[in-house]
Amino acid sequence: MTRKKVKLAYISNDSARKGTFKKRKKGLLKKVSELSTLCGVDACAIIYSSYDPQPEIWPSPSGAQRVLTKFKNMPEMEQSKKMVNQDSFLRQRISKANEQLKKQQRDNRKKEMTQVMFQALVGNSLNNLNMLDLNDLEWLINQNLNEVQNKIDSLKKEANSSASVAVAGPSGEVKDIAPQQEAEKQASEMNMEAMQKQPWITDWINQQQENMGFLGDDVNVPFWDNNNYNGLWSGPFFP
Amino acid sequence: MSRKSKGRQKLEMVKIPKESNLLVTFSKRRYGVFKKASELATLCGAEITLIVFSPGKKVFSFGHPSVETVIDRFFTRNPPPTSGALQLIEAHRNARIRELNIQLTQVVSQLEMDKKRGEELDQLRKVNEGQRWWESPIEELDLPRLEQLRASLEVLRQNVTKRAEQLLIQTTNHPQFYTPKPAIGVVPFDPKPEGFNTNMMPAAYNYNLGFRSGNGFF
Repeated sequence: MTRKKVKLAYISNDSARKGTFKKRKKGLLKKVSELSTLCGVDACAIIYSSYDPQPEIWPSPSGAQRVLTKFKNMPEMEQSKKMVNQDSFLRQRISKANEQLKKQQRDNRKKEMTQVMFQALVGNSLNNLNMLDLNDLEWLINQNLNEVQNKIDSLKKEANSSASVAVAGPSGEVKDIAPQQEAEKQASEMNMEAMQKQPWITDWINQQQENMGFLGDDVNVPFWDNNNYNGLWSGPFFP
Repeated sequence: MSRKSKGRQKLEMVKIPKESNLLVTFSKRRYGVFKKASELATLCGAEITLIVFSPGKKVFSFGHPSVETVIDRFFTRNPPPTSGALQLIEAHRNARIRELNIQLTQVVSQLEMDKKRGEELDQLRKVNEGQRWWESPIEELDLPRLEQLRASLEVLRQNVTKRAEQLLIQTTNHPQFYTPKPAIGVVPFDPKPEGFNTNMMPAAYNYNLGFRSGNGFF
Protein backbone atom coordinates (compact mmCIF):
# COMPACT_ATOMS: atom_id res chain seq x y z
CA MET A 1 0.00 0.00 0.00
CA THR A 2 1.49 3.30 -1.04
CA ARG A 3 1.36 5.95 1.64
CA LYS A 4 1.39 8.96 -0.61
CA LYS A 5 -0.93 11.76 0.41
CA VAL A 6 -3.69 11.94 -2.23
CA LYS A 7 -5.37 15.24 -2.97
CA LEU A 8 -9.11 15.05 -2.46
CA ALA A 9 -10.10 16.12 -5.96
CA TYR A 10 -11.08 14.59 -9.30
CA ILE A 11 -8.04 13.00 -10.89
CA SER A 12 -7.58 14.69 -14.24
CA ASN A 13 -4.96 12.31 -15.58
CA ASP A 14 -6.96 9.60 -17.35
CA SER A 15 -4.68 6.63 -16.77
CA ALA A 16 -4.02 7.57 -13.17
CA ARG A 17 -7.73 7.92 -12.59
CA LYS A 18 -8.49 4.54 -14.15
CA GLY A 19 -5.80 2.83 -12.08
CA THR A 20 -7.04 4.48 -8.90
CA PHE A 21 -10.59 3.52 -9.69
CA LYS A 22 -9.75 -0.16 -10.11
CA LYS A 23 -7.72 -0.30 -6.92
CA ARG A 24 -10.10 1.64 -4.74
CA LYS A 25 -13.14 -0.12 -6.04
CA LYS A 26 -11.60 -3.43 -5.10
CA GLY A 27 -10.65 -2.11 -1.68
CA LEU A 28 -14.08 -0.66 -1.05
CA LEU A 29 -15.86 -3.91 -1.87
CA LYS A 30 -13.48 -5.80 0.38
CA LYS A 31 -14.27 -3.46 3.25
CA VAL A 32 -18.00 -3.79 2.67
CA SER A 33 -17.65 -7.56 2.71
CA GLU A 34 -15.66 -7.48 5.95
CA LEU A 35 -18.20 -5.19 7.57
CA SER A 36 -21.02 -7.50 6.60
CA THR A 37 -19.27 -10.63 7.91
CA LEU A 38 -17.76 -9.23 11.09
CA CYS A 39 -20.95 -7.60 12.23
CA GLY A 40 -23.42 -10.02 10.77
CA VAL A 41 -25.36 -7.38 8.86
CA ASP A 42 -26.93 -7.08 5.42
CA ALA A 43 -25.27 -4.73 2.98
CA CYS A 44 -24.95 -4.01 -0.72
CA ALA A 45 -22.91 -1.77 -3.00
CA ILE A 46 -23.56 -0.56 -6.54
CA ILE A 47 -20.85 1.28 -8.44
CA TYR A 48 -21.18 2.92 -11.87
CA SER A 49 -18.18 4.24 -13.72
CA SER A 50 -17.31 5.62 -17.10
CA TYR A 51 -15.28 2.46 -17.79
CA ASP A 52 -18.19 0.05 -17.89
CA PRO A 53 -21.86 0.41 -18.78
CA GLN A 54 -22.56 -2.39 -16.33
CA PRO A 55 -22.31 -1.51 -12.66
CA GLU A 56 -20.11 -3.37 -10.22
CA ILE A 57 -22.42 -5.05 -7.72
CA TRP A 58 -21.77 -6.53 -4.31
CA PRO A 59 -22.53 -9.15 -3.15
CA SER A 60 -24.22 -10.18 -6.39
CA PRO A 61 -27.15 -8.93 -8.50
CA SER A 62 -29.60 -11.14 -6.64
CA GLY A 63 -28.03 -10.45 -3.25
CA ALA A 64 -28.14 -6.71 -3.89
CA GLN A 65 -31.70 -7.03 -5.14
CA ARG A 66 -32.69 -8.62 -1.83
CA VAL A 67 -31.05 -5.92 0.26
CA LEU A 68 -32.56 -3.16 -1.87
CA THR A 69 -36.01 -4.66 -1.47
CA LYS A 70 -35.50 -4.87 2.29
CA PHE A 71 -34.43 -1.24 2.18
CA LYS A 72 -37.40 -0.10 0.13
CA ASN A 73 -39.78 -1.93 2.43
CA MET A 74 -38.72 0.15 5.38
CA PRO A 75 -40.77 3.22 6.26
CA GLU A 76 -39.76 6.30 4.34
CA MET A 77 -38.59 8.00 7.54
CA GLU A 78 -36.29 5.16 8.45
CA GLN A 79 -34.77 5.13 4.99
CA SER A 80 -33.93 8.79 5.00
CA LYS A 81 -32.90 9.17 8.63
CA LYS A 82 -29.37 7.94 8.09
CA MET A 83 -29.17 8.68 4.39
CA VAL A 84 -26.35 10.86 3.17
CA ASN A 85 -24.88 12.03 -0.09
CA GLN A 86 -21.51 13.63 -0.76
CA ASP A 87 -22.70 17.03 0.31
CA SER A 88 -24.16 16.02 3.65
CA PHE A 89 -21.46 13.47 4.40
CA LEU A 90 -18.67 15.95 3.80
CA ARG A 91 -20.41 18.51 5.96
CA GLN A 92 -20.62 15.97 8.77
CA ARG A 93 -16.93 15.21 8.42
CA ILE A 94 -16.02 18.88 8.42
CA SER A 95 -18.07 19.53 11.51
CA LYS A 96 -16.53 16.59 13.34
CA ALA A 97 -13.04 17.65 12.33
CA ASN A 98 -13.72 21.21 13.52
CA GLU A 99 -14.81 19.90 16.91
CA GLN A 100 -11.67 17.83 17.22
CA LEU A 101 -9.62 20.83 16.16
CA LYS A 102 -11.17 23.07 18.79
CA LYS A 103 -10.58 20.51 21.48
CA GLN A 104 -6.99 19.97 20.40
CA GLN A 105 -6.33 23.70 20.41
CA ARG A 106 -7.81 24.03 23.89
CA ASP A 107 -5.63 21.19 25.13
CA ASN A 108 -2.54 22.69 23.54
CA ARG A 109 -3.27 26.08 25.06
CA LYS A 110 -3.61 24.48 28.47
CA LYS A 111 -0.32 22.64 28.03
CA GLU A 112 1.45 25.79 26.93
CA MET A 113 0.01 27.74 29.82
CA THR A 114 1.19 25.02 32.17
CA GLN A 115 4.72 25.51 30.85
CA VAL A 116 4.37 29.23 31.45
CA MET A 117 3.20 28.54 34.99
CA PHE A 118 6.13 26.23 35.74
CA GLN A 119 8.57 28.78 34.47
CA ALA A 120 6.91 31.55 36.45
CA LEU A 121 7.16 29.40 39.57
CA VAL A 122 10.93 29.52 39.30
CA GLY A 123 11.08 33.19 38.66
CA ASN A 124 10.42 33.84 35.00
CA SER A 125 8.97 37.25 34.37
CA LEU A 126 5.29 37.73 33.67
CA ASN A 127 6.00 40.73 31.50
CA ASN A 128 5.60 38.92 28.20
CA LEU A 129 2.04 37.97 28.95
CA ASN A 130 -0.96 39.90 27.82
CA MET A 131 -4.26 40.20 29.64
CA LEU A 132 -5.71 37.10 28.02
CA ASP A 133 -2.69 35.07 29.04
CA LEU A 134 -2.84 36.38 32.58
CA ASN A 135 -6.49 35.43 32.87
CA ASP A 136 -5.83 31.93 31.64
CA LEU A 137 -2.80 31.65 33.89
CA GLU A 138 -4.82 32.66 36.92
CA TRP A 139 -7.45 30.07 36.04
CA LEU A 140 -4.79 27.41 35.70
CA ILE A 141 -3.16 28.34 39.01
CA ASN A 142 -6.51 28.07 40.75
CA GLN A 143 -7.16 24.72 39.20
CA ASN A 144 -3.79 23.44 40.34
CA LEU A 145 -4.27 24.86 43.81
CA ASN A 146 -7.54 22.98 44.13
CA GLU A 147 -5.93 19.77 43.03
CA VAL A 148 -3.00 20.25 45.39
CA GLN A 149 -5.30 21.03 48.29
CA ASN A 150 -7.43 17.97 47.58
CA LYS A 151 -4.38 15.78 47.51
CA ILE A 152 -3.10 17.32 50.74
CA ASP A 153 -6.45 16.73 52.41
CA SER A 154 -6.65 13.14 51.28
CA LEU A 155 -3.09 12.41 52.36
CA LYS A 156 -3.76 13.88 55.76
CA LYS A 157 -6.91 11.83 56.08
CA GLU A 158 -4.91 8.73 55.27
CA ALA A 159 -2.24 9.60 57.76
CA ASN A 160 -4.79 10.15 60.49
CA SER A 161 -6.72 6.97 59.90
CA SER A 162 -3.64 4.86 59.44
CA ALA A 163 -2.74 3.28 62.74
CA SER A 164 0.75 2.39 61.69
CA VAL A 165 2.12 5.88 61.50
CA ALA A 166 4.45 6.26 64.42
CA VAL A 167 5.15 9.93 64.67
CA ALA A 168 7.74 11.05 67.15
CA GLY A 169 7.31 14.21 69.12
CA PRO A 170 4.18 16.05 70.15
CA SER A 171 0.88 14.58 69.01
CA GLY A 172 -1.04 16.01 66.12
CA GLU A 173 1.93 17.54 64.44
CA VAL A 174 0.78 16.18 61.13
CA LYS A 175 -2.35 18.19 61.57
CA ASP A 176 -0.48 21.14 62.90
CA ILE A 177 -1.32 23.99 60.61
CA ALA A 178 0.20 26.80 62.60
CA PRO A 179 3.54 26.74 60.76
CA GLN A 180 1.69 26.83 57.45
CA GLN A 181 -0.29 29.88 58.42
CA GLU A 182 2.92 31.50 59.51
CA ALA A 183 4.48 30.58 56.23
CA GLU A 184 1.61 32.04 54.28
CA LYS A 185 1.89 35.27 56.20
CA GLN A 186 5.57 35.37 55.34
CA ALA A 187 4.62 34.86 51.72
CA SER A 188 2.52 37.97 51.52
CA GLU A 189 5.03 40.02 53.40
CA MET A 190 7.92 39.08 51.23
CA ASN A 191 9.16 41.30 48.47
CA MET A 192 7.43 40.30 45.27
CA GLU A 193 10.06 41.54 42.93
CA ALA A 194 12.81 39.74 44.71
CA MET A 195 10.79 36.58 44.41
CA GLN A 196 10.39 36.98 40.72
CA LYS A 197 14.09 37.20 40.14
CA GLN A 198 15.20 34.30 42.30
CA PRO A 199 14.88 30.65 41.47
CA TRP A 200 12.89 30.15 44.65
CA ILE A 201 12.56 26.46 44.80
CA THR A 202 16.07 25.56 43.71
CA ASP A 203 17.56 27.80 46.39
CA TRP A 204 15.36 26.27 49.02
CA ILE A 205 16.11 22.75 47.90
CA ASN A 206 19.82 23.39 48.03
CA GLN A 207 19.51 24.77 51.51
CA GLN A 208 17.45 21.80 52.60
CA GLN A 209 19.92 19.31 51.35
CA GLU A 210 22.60 20.98 53.33
CA ASN A 211 20.49 21.00 56.44
CA MET A 212 18.98 17.62 56.66
CA GLY A 213 19.46 15.30 53.76
CA PHE A 214 16.87 13.90 51.40
CA LEU A 215 13.64 15.78 51.06
CA GLY A 216 11.31 13.09 49.98
CA ASP A 217 11.16 11.06 53.17
CA ASP A 218 7.87 10.20 54.74
CA VAL A 219 6.30 12.00 57.63
CA ASN A 220 8.36 10.13 60.18
CA VAL A 221 11.41 12.13 59.29
CA PRO A 222 12.57 14.90 61.66
CA PHE A 223 11.12 17.26 59.02
CA TRP A 224 7.99 17.30 61.06
CA ASP A 225 9.75 17.80 64.31
CA ASN A 226 8.96 21.19 65.75
CA ASN A 227 12.62 21.87 66.35
CA ASN A 228 13.45 21.90 62.70
CA TYR A 229 10.61 24.14 61.69
CA ASN A 230 12.50 27.30 62.49
CA GLY A 231 15.35 26.25 60.27
CA LEU A 232 12.96 25.63 57.43
CA TRP A 233 10.92 28.75 57.55
CA SER A 234 13.77 31.15 57.70
CA GLY A 235 15.25 30.30 54.30
CA PRO A 236 14.95 32.63 51.30
CA PHE A 237 12.06 30.51 50.21
CA PHE A 238 9.90 28.40 52.44
CA PRO A 239 7.64 25.45 51.78
CA MET B 1 -2.55 6.07 19.85
CA SER B 2 -1.36 2.64 20.87
CA ARG B 3 -2.02 3.58 24.47
CA LYS B 4 -5.70 3.97 23.89
CA SER B 5 -6.39 0.85 21.83
CA LYS B 6 -4.77 -2.48 21.12
CA GLY B 7 -3.76 -1.33 17.67
CA ARG B 8 -3.82 -3.35 14.47
CA GLN B 9 -4.42 -7.05 14.92
CA LYS B 10 -5.05 -9.97 12.62
CA LEU B 11 -8.77 -10.46 12.49
CA GLU B 12 -10.64 -13.66 11.84
CA MET B 13 -13.37 -13.23 9.24
CA VAL B 14 -16.24 -14.42 11.34
CA LYS B 15 -18.97 -12.63 13.17
CA ILE B 16 -17.51 -10.92 16.24
CA PRO B 17 -18.55 -12.92 19.29
CA LYS B 18 -18.72 -10.17 21.91
CA GLU B 19 -21.62 -7.78 21.32
CA SER B 20 -19.95 -4.66 22.71
CA ASN B 21 -16.97 -5.18 20.39
CA LEU B 22 -19.32 -5.86 17.51
CA LEU B 23 -21.16 -2.60 18.00
CA VAL B 24 -17.97 -0.56 18.23
CA THR B 25 -16.56 -2.27 15.16
CA PHE B 26 -19.74 -1.65 13.26
CA SER B 27 -19.70 2.02 14.08
CA LYS B 28 -16.07 2.51 13.10
CA ARG B 29 -16.11 0.39 9.96
CA ARG B 30 -19.41 1.77 8.75
CA TYR B 31 -17.92 5.25 8.90
CA GLY B 32 -14.73 4.05 7.23
CA VAL B 33 -16.56 2.40 4.36
CA PHE B 34 -18.63 5.53 3.75
CA LYS B 35 -15.44 7.56 3.74
CA LYS B 36 -13.88 5.25 1.15
CA ALA B 37 -17.00 5.47 -1.00
CA SER B 38 -16.96 9.24 -0.76
CA GLU B 39 -13.32 9.33 -1.82
CA LEU B 40 -13.93 6.99 -4.74
CA ALA B 41 -16.73 9.23 -5.96
CA THR B 42 -14.58 12.35 -5.65
CA LEU B 43 -11.36 10.99 -7.11
CA CYS B 44 -12.82 9.01 -9.98
CA GLY B 45 -16.22 10.50 -10.61
CA ALA B 46 -17.96 7.20 -9.93
CA GLU B 47 -21.66 7.01 -9.10
CA ILE B 48 -22.18 4.90 -6.04
CA THR B 49 -24.72 3.70 -3.61
CA LEU B 50 -23.98 1.85 -0.40
CA ILE B 51 -26.60 0.39 1.86
CA VAL B 52 -25.73 -1.03 5.26
CA PHE B 53 -28.11 -2.37 7.88
CA SER B 54 -27.02 -1.94 11.48
CA PRO B 55 -27.04 -4.62 14.18
CA GLY B 56 -29.95 -2.67 15.63
CA LYS B 57 -31.95 -2.93 12.40
CA LYS B 58 -31.49 0.70 11.47
CA VAL B 59 -30.24 1.38 7.97
CA PHE B 60 -27.40 3.59 6.83
CA SER B 61 -27.03 4.61 3.21
CA PHE B 62 -24.61 6.63 1.15
CA GLY B 63 -25.20 7.69 -2.45
CA HIS B 64 -23.59 9.86 -5.05
CA PRO B 65 -25.21 11.77 -6.68
CA SER B 66 -27.88 10.36 -4.37
CA VAL B 67 -29.03 6.98 -3.09
CA GLU B 68 -32.30 7.29 -4.99
CA THR B 69 -30.84 8.11 -8.40
CA VAL B 70 -28.39 5.23 -8.32
CA ILE B 71 -31.04 2.75 -7.18
CA ASP B 72 -33.37 3.95 -9.93
CA ARG B 73 -30.63 3.57 -12.48
CA PHE B 74 -29.99 0.04 -11.23
CA PHE B 75 -33.63 -0.97 -11.38
CA THR B 76 -34.44 0.57 -14.74
CA ARG B 77 -31.21 -0.71 -16.27
CA ASN B 78 -31.11 2.36 -18.42
CA PRO B 79 -28.44 4.96 -18.54
CA PRO B 80 -29.48 7.97 -16.51
CA PRO B 81 -31.52 10.63 -18.30
CA THR B 82 -29.67 13.81 -18.99
CA SER B 83 -30.60 17.27 -20.15
CA GLY B 84 -29.21 20.75 -20.17
CA ALA B 85 -30.98 21.56 -16.93
CA LEU B 86 -29.86 18.38 -15.23
CA GLN B 87 -26.30 18.92 -16.33
CA LEU B 88 -26.38 22.40 -14.91
CA ILE B 89 -27.66 21.13 -11.60
CA GLU B 90 -24.98 18.49 -11.57
CA ALA B 91 -22.30 21.07 -12.34
CA HIS B 92 -23.45 23.19 -9.41
CA ARG B 93 -23.50 20.22 -7.12
CA ASN B 94 -20.03 19.14 -8.14
CA ALA B 95 -18.70 22.64 -7.60
CA ARG B 96 -20.13 22.65 -4.09
CA ILE B 97 -18.61 19.25 -3.39
CA ARG B 98 -15.26 20.50 -4.60
CA GLU B 99 -15.49 23.38 -2.14
CA LEU B 100 -16.38 21.04 0.70
CA ASN B 101 -13.48 18.75 -0.08
CA ILE B 102 -11.10 21.70 -0.01
CA GLN B 103 -12.51 22.85 3.31
CA LEU B 104 -12.24 19.35 4.75
CA THR B 105 -8.65 19.03 3.63
CA GLN B 106 -7.76 22.32 5.31
CA VAL B 107 -9.35 21.44 8.62
CA VAL B 108 -7.80 17.98 8.68
CA SER B 109 -4.33 19.29 7.94
CA GLN B 110 -4.66 21.97 10.63
CA LEU B 111 -5.79 19.27 13.03
CA GLU B 112 -2.74 17.16 12.22
CA MET B 113 -0.43 20.09 12.85
CA ASP B 114 -2.01 20.87 16.19
CA LYS B 115 -1.91 17.22 17.19
CA LYS B 116 1.80 17.18 16.47
CA ARG B 117 2.23 20.30 18.55
CA GLY B 118 0.38 18.61 21.37
CA GLU B 119 2.72 15.65 21.24
CA GLU B 120 5.73 17.97 21.29
CA LEU B 121 4.38 19.67 24.38
CA ASP B 122 3.83 16.31 26.06
CA GLN B 123 7.39 15.31 25.26
CA LEU B 124 8.71 18.56 26.66
CA ARG B 125 6.85 18.05 29.91
CA LYS B 126 8.03 14.46 30.25
CA VAL B 127 11.63 15.49 29.78
CA ASN B 128 11.38 18.23 32.40
CA GLU B 129 9.50 16.18 34.97
CA GLY B 130 12.60 14.20 35.78
CA GLN B 131 14.58 17.29 36.70
CA ARG B 132 11.93 19.43 38.31
CA TRP B 133 9.72 17.75 40.84
CA TRP B 134 7.08 20.44 40.80
CA GLU B 135 6.27 19.57 37.20
CA SER B 136 5.36 16.01 38.14
CA PRO B 137 1.72 15.05 38.38
CA ILE B 138 0.22 16.23 41.64
CA GLU B 139 -0.89 12.69 42.31
CA GLU B 140 2.74 11.62 42.69
CA LEU B 141 3.88 14.28 45.14
CA ASP B 142 4.35 13.75 48.84
CA LEU B 143 2.92 15.94 51.53
CA PRO B 144 5.86 18.26 52.19
CA ARG B 145 6.28 18.97 48.50
CA LEU B 146 2.59 19.50 48.06
CA GLU B 147 2.66 22.13 50.75
CA GLN B 148 5.65 23.86 49.21
CA LEU B 149 3.92 23.80 45.88
CA ARG B 150 0.75 25.23 47.31
CA ALA B 151 2.57 28.12 48.86
CA SER B 152 4.46 28.93 45.67
CA LEU B 153 1.29 28.79 43.66
CA GLU B 154 -0.40 31.19 46.03
CA VAL B 155 2.45 33.63 45.72
CA LEU B 156 2.39 33.30 41.97
CA ARG B 157 -1.29 33.99 41.92
CA GLN B 158 -0.76 37.23 43.78
CA ASN B 159 1.96 38.19 41.34
CA VAL B 160 -0.32 37.52 38.43
CA THR B 161 -3.02 39.73 39.88
CA LYS B 162 -0.51 42.46 40.52
CA ARG B 163 0.84 42.25 37.00
CA ALA B 164 -2.67 42.38 35.59
CA GLU B 165 -3.31 45.55 37.54
CA GLN B 166 -0.08 47.04 36.23
CA LEU B 167 -1.06 46.21 32.68
CA LEU B 168 -4.43 47.77 33.13
CA ILE B 169 -2.96 50.98 34.43
CA GLN B 170 -0.52 51.05 31.54
CA THR B 171 -3.27 50.67 29.02
CA THR B 172 -5.44 53.28 30.63
CA ASN B 173 -2.55 55.71 30.33
CA HIS B 174 -2.35 54.89 26.64
CA PRO B 175 -5.91 54.30 25.56
CA GLN B 176 -5.07 53.35 21.99
CA PHE B 177 -3.75 50.07 23.31
CA TYR B 178 -6.71 49.37 25.51
CA THR B 179 -8.33 45.97 25.26
CA PRO B 180 -11.96 45.93 26.27
CA LYS B 181 -11.64 42.75 28.33
CA PRO B 182 -11.97 43.53 32.04
CA ALA B 183 -8.95 42.74 34.16
CA ILE B 184 -8.91 40.35 37.05
CA GLY B 185 -10.57 41.78 40.07
CA VAL B 186 -10.63 45.28 38.66
CA VAL B 187 -13.88 46.91 37.76
CA PRO B 188 -13.90 47.98 34.13
CA PHE B 189 -13.81 51.71 34.03
CA ASP B 190 -16.32 54.05 32.50
CA PRO B 191 -15.12 55.17 29.05
CA LYS B 192 -16.88 58.52 29.25
CA PRO B 193 -14.54 61.40 30.07
CA GLU B 194 -16.43 62.43 33.23
CA GLY B 195 -16.14 58.93 34.51
CA PHE B 196 -12.40 58.46 34.31
CA ASN B 197 -10.92 56.05 36.76
CA THR B 198 -9.59 57.87 39.79
CA ASN B 199 -6.56 55.61 39.74
CA MET B 200 -5.19 57.60 36.91
CA MET B 201 -2.81 60.39 37.65
CA PRO B 202 -3.96 63.87 36.71
CA ALA B 203 -1.10 64.40 34.32
CA ALA B 204 -1.98 61.31 32.34
CA TYR B 205 -5.59 62.35 32.35
CA ASN B 206 -4.84 65.66 30.72
CA TYR B 207 -2.51 64.00 28.28
CA ASN B 208 -5.27 61.68 27.16
CA LEU B 209 -7.75 64.46 26.73
CA GLY B 210 -5.39 66.09 24.32
CA PHE B 211 -5.12 62.92 22.30
CA ARG B 212 -8.73 62.04 22.15
CA SER B 213 -10.22 62.37 18.72
CA GLY B 214 -13.69 63.68 18.16
CA ASN B 215 -15.32 60.33 17.81
CA GLY B 216 -15.35 59.34 21.41
CA PHE B 217 -13.15 57.27 23.59
CA PHE B 218 -12.75 54.13 21.53
